[in-house]
Amino acid sequence: MSSKKVAAEVVTDESYAKHEKIYPRQVHGLFATFRVLGIFILLGGYYIAPWLQWDGHQAILFDLPARKFYIFSLTFWPQDFIYLAVLLIIAALALFFFTALAGRLWCGYACPQTVWTEVFLWIERKVEGSRNQQIKLDKSPLTKFKFLRKALKHSLWILLSLWTGFTFVGYFTPILELGVKFVQLNLGPWETFWIFFYGFATYGNAGWMREQVCIYMCPYARFQSAMFDNDTLVISYDEARGEPRGSRKRNVASESVGLGDCVDCTLCVQVCPTGIDIRQGMQYQCIGCAACIDVCNQVMDKMGYRKNLVRYTTLNAMDGGKTKIFRPRIIIYFLLLLGITSALIYSMAIRIPLELDIIRDRNALYRETNEGLIENIYTIKVINMDLQPHQYILTVSGIEGMKVINKVPEIKVNSGEVLDFPISIQVDPVNLKKTTQKLKFDLISTTNPKLHVEESGRFIGPLIR
Amino acid sequence: MSGQDNNEYDAKQIPTVQKVIAVLWPSFLTAGVATILFFAYFDPQLLMQISGYGNISRMAGYTIGFFLFWLLTSVTCVISCYFQRPCEKDKH
Repeated sequence: MSSKKVAAEVVTDESYAKHEKIYPRQVHGLFATFRVLGIFILLGGYYIAPWLQWDGHQAILFDLPARKFYIFSLTFWPQDFIYLAVLLIIAALALFFFTALAGRLWCGYACPQTVWTEVFLWIERKVEGSRNQQIKLDKSPLTKFKFLRKALKHSLWILLSLWTGFTFVGYFTPILELGVKFVQLNLGPWETFWIFFYGFATYGNAGWMREQVCIYMCPYARFQSAMFDNDTLVISYDEARGEPRGSRKRNVASESVGLGDCVDCTLCVQVCPTGIDIRQGMQYQCIGCAACIDVCNQVMDKMGYRKNLVRYTTLNAMDGGKTKIFRPRIIIYFLLLLGITSALIYSMAIRIPLELDIIRDRNALYRETNEGLIENIYTIKVINMDLQPHQYILTVSGIEGMKVINKVPEIKVNSGEVLDFPISIQVDPVNLKKTTQKLKFDLISTTNPKLHVEESGRFIGPLIR
Repeated sequence: MSGQDNNEYDAKQIPTVQKVIAVLWPSFLTAGVATILFFAYFDPQLLMQISGYGNISRMAGYTIGFFLFWLLTSVTCVISCYFQRPCEKDKH
């Protein structure tokens, strides 16, 4: 898709006409099956995952009130923020990679907007009937029948939305407690607020906004064409084979009536969730859901014609060339993805669930004791990020003959807790070679010697001439 | 906001829904990022205690923080949108 073409289309009057409701027709076929499968896996996972337990805690819990993230046997702390950042970079790279390879796979099969909209459309069809029945119902005057249908549809949508909101909050506060509180109608104000907020967003986006989210709100939809090249999979209508389009009787060979294979049944337009006509060429509104491929193949079957008048193809293939899968863009994205993912896995594997912070006393650079020693005060912060309590030993080295005065000889920290305590270091001035000298702090667990961290600090003394 | 009368380009060509989204949506995204970054480093409970605002729950802290960020970022978006309008042309 060239950016010039997109830009030209954005300014057509049609784009700015008052929004008209789109009634996507139900579609069956290979790609529709893939999408339904995706919906079951993704939404099933979304609704079930927070209920899973692991080692006595919720398996996946981003415990915001306690500032801890649990993902199965891993526990993350705010100090582990870097992992989240790297994870987001990986997600973005994966999106680039798959877009370059196969176009808008994400939009058509995996985007929450697509997935929830499909479920909302399914409810709509169950309540209001097929596309034609829905159009008829919307045009009819408000009768008791119409009112009841609409009320039922919105009630079901709202119920599903609230359940979605409840599940969402269940990722951030323990869902079992949340469930109990919900049953007792005893939810806290902030939990209630977020359930309704997320529920409202689901209802609004999947029930009302639908394709407008993709067209107006989605940044990816706007910039994805930059990742496309002539070898990217796109959905396209075979114009050379289809035109001139026109209706004809079944099992009539196209050539005998002087037409192309397109029977102009407009089903491809009726199934399109964004309401475009794929026969007009590639358009930025196309989310690559392949509904038009499925429906057109059914028509081609009925007509006794070859399938794939609308199909997944590449610009190169359409021009009669060969599609090249392994091209520099793909290889670079893949290598980057592989490199960063391996780095993340490696750093998580060697991650030590212990943190040591050394904070120098800010009030005084140094103090002279009655015995003539130079003293520096530090606050030591020990964060135990392991799931077990530990006991640690702190040793400090770096200056000859230094005295470490630690009033907390037993450093015991429970799982997930922070201990801070002051220590004082005293040095005879004759041993000070420089005004500022480096110190090494070693913290090692007595219960598990693998838990060992090193930090450096500074010792400041009087000016040495 | 005033200036609709001498600004036909904006008023007619861009649907209201797109204008509303242009303000609320990018600001929502950046407010979300800001909230995550900010609260990854600062604990709202501690912040409130230190600054003497009394005790609030962390959930309340995150929520209020998010909406304050959203307010701020949406003000930025409104101003950006306002400045994007073409300057007033010579009156005929």
